[in-house]
Amino acid sequence: MTKRDLPESDHPSGPSTRIMLVDDQPARAAILEQALIDAGCEVIARLSSAQGLMKKVVEHQPDVIIIDIESPDRDMLEHMTVLNQHNPKPVIMFSDEDDPATIEKAVRAGVSAYVVDGLNPSRVKSIMAVAVARFREFQALRGELEKTRNQLQDRRLMDEAKAILMKQKNMTEDEAYHAMRKMAMDRGQRLTDVARNIISVMNLLNG
Amino acid sequence: MKDVLEKTELTIGYMPLTDSLPLLVADAHGYFQEQGLDVSLQQEVSWANIRDKVLVGHLDAAQMLAPMLIATHLGLGGIKKPMMTPFAFALNGNGFTISNQLASELDRIAGCNVMADAALAGNALKQLVEERRQQQRPVLLFATVYPYSIHNLLLRDWLSANGIDPDIDVALVVLPPSQMVDHLSQQNIDGFFAGAPWNSVAIQRGVGSCLLASNDLWHSAPDKVLGMTSAWAEAHPNVVKALVRALDKACRWIDHNRQQAASIMTRYVNVPEAAVLPALTGQFTYRTEQPPIHQPDMLVFHRYLANYPWAEHGAWFLHQLQRWNWAKTDIDAESLVRECYRADLYCEALGHHTLGEHLQQGLSFRHEQPWQLGDVPMAATAFSYQSSL
Repeated sequence: MTKRDLPESDHPSGPSTRIMLVDDQPARAAILEQALIDAGCEVIARLSSAQGLMKKVVEHQPDVIIIDIESPDRDMLEHMTVLNQHNPKPVIMFSDEDDPATIEKAVRAGVSAYVVDGLNPSRVKSIMAVAVARFREFQALRGELEKTRNQLQDRRLMDEAKAILMKQKNMTEDEAYHAMRKMAMDRGQRLTDVARNIISVMNLLNG
Repeated sequence: MKDVLEKTELTIGYMPLTDSLPLLVADAHGYFQEQGLDVSLQQEVSWANIRDKVLVGHLDAAQMLAPMLIATHLGLGGIKKPMMTPFAFALNGNGFTISNQLASELDRIAGCNVMADAALAGNALKQLVEERRQQQRPVLLFATVYPYSIHNLLLRDWLSANGIDPDIDVALVVLPPSQMVDHLSQQNIDGFFAGAPWNSVAIQRGVGSCLLASNDLWHSAPDKVLGMTSAWAEAHPNVVKALVRALDKACRWIDHNRQQAASIMTRYVNVPEAAVLPALTGQFTYRTEQPPIHQPDMLVFHRYLANYPWAEHGAWFLHQLQRWNWAKTDIDAESLVRECYRADLYCEALGHHTLGEHLQQGLSFRHEQPWQLGDVPMAATAFSYQSSL
C-alpha cells in the first residue's frame, strides 16, 4: 500500500496532503503555495502551463490538483478520471457531502479542484477555502492595479485633448479644462468620453 | 393569452464551435428578444466549465455535449444532478483529421485514397496498427474533445468495430478543440476527432487531412444539445419553451443562409471565415489542395427534424457509456432517456402535435436511404460500419 492509499481519517497527524498547482499566473500560484504550506499541505508541483500535465499527474500522484477555472486544460484532467479511477476527480462531482455554497464560492473565485477518492471531506473543504481566499485576494489586488492603470490612462487622454484645444483654439490649459467640463455637463458625458471625442475628431480631420 | 415568463434575463454558455450558431444567430437576429428574453451569451473555455457553471447556476443553460449531460445526470464519477434537454442543436459536423504522413501511410496500405470511406479507412488503420506493433513503433495517439462526447464514443466504437482496441492498440487523449491544429502540426498527436471549424482549419493550414467526417461514419449523427438542470427547467417551464422557439427559428434560418451564418460566426468566435465555410456550405475539402466534395448534409441545423431530442440518440450514448464500463449496466435506459430527452417540451413549444403518432414509433438507425416521417423528409440514419448497438 502506498502512502496515498491510507485513509486520512486514520492518521490525524499523518501524511500531509499532496497538492499540484496549475496556474498561468506565477504570482498568484506563489501566494497560494505559501498559504497551503502554512496550512500543512505539501505542494509537490507548481505548473505554469498544462504542457506535459498528464505525465506530471502520473509522475507525482497528487491528492489534489488546483487549477484556474478558466484554463482550457480542465477537460484533459476530466479525461484522466475516466482513464484511471484512482486519478483525482472534479470536486464539483465529488462533493456528495459538500454543501453547494462551497462550490459556488469556488466557481465565483475562479478556483476548480480535482481530488482523489477517500480524502477527508473536511480536509478538502479547508484546502478549497484557502485557495478561494487567495484567488479572491489576488483578484482584488488585480482590480486595484487595473483601476490605477485606468486612472493613468484617463489622465493621458485628458492631457492630449487639452493640448489639442490649446493649440487649435488658442486656449490656456485652464480654459481648455473648463471648456471640456462644460461639454461634459451639457452632453451628460464623462470627462474622459469628451476627451476621447476631441481626440478622435482631431484624428479624423488629420486623417 | 401569452404564457408568463418566469425569468427574462438569462445567461447562456457556449463553446467556440460552428454548432453554437443557433445561439449566436438567435442573439444576432433578436430572436430571443422576440420571445421576451434578454439573453447574454457567455463563451467558455472548457466543457468542464460549462457543466460546473450550469450546476451552480452561474449559467441558466448552455450548449452541451449530449453524452456529458447524460454522464452528469447519472453522476459518473461523483454527485448526481438531474439534467435535461428539450432541443438538439444540429446533426453531423465533426470530423476525424489525421496528419498528412499518417494519411499517406493509410493510402499506401490500401493502395488507393482512403478518405471518406469508413470501411477502407478502418481496414487500412487496423493493418497499420499491426504493422507498427511488429516494428515496435509507438502506438498512434489521437485526441478527442471530452471523454463523454460523441467524438470520443463514435471514434472508440468505430475503432473497435475494426478490431482496434481503443485502450490498448492506440492511445486517446483529450485536448481543447482550439489547440488541436497546433498539436497536430507539432506532431504531438497523430490525429484528432473534433467539431467544425477545426478540421477545416487544419486542412487549410496544410497540417492534416480529414480521414472521415462524422457523417461518413453515422448518417445524421447527434451531437450538442441545449442543456440545463432539471430543477431549473421545472422552475422555468415557459422560458424553456421560449428558448426552444427562438432556437428553432435560428436553426431554420441557418439552414437557408449558410454564407451569412458564417459571417455571424466570425463576429463571436475568433476563426477565419474561410475555415467556417466548408462544413457550413457542404463544399468540404478533405485534403489540402484537393477539390471539395459536395456534402450537403455535413452540418444540418433544422431539416430532418434535426432539433428533435430523439430518445434513441440518448439510448445509443448510454449504451456506449455502459460498454466501456463508465456507466453501470443495470441502468434503465428507457426511464433515463425519458428524464433527460424532453421531446415532449420540444413538441409543446413548437406545436408539432400532428407528428405525434409518427414520433411515437421512435427513430430507427436502419434507414440507409432518405425516408419520410409523415410529411417530413428525413435523411438516412444508418451507420456505415457495424456499430455495437
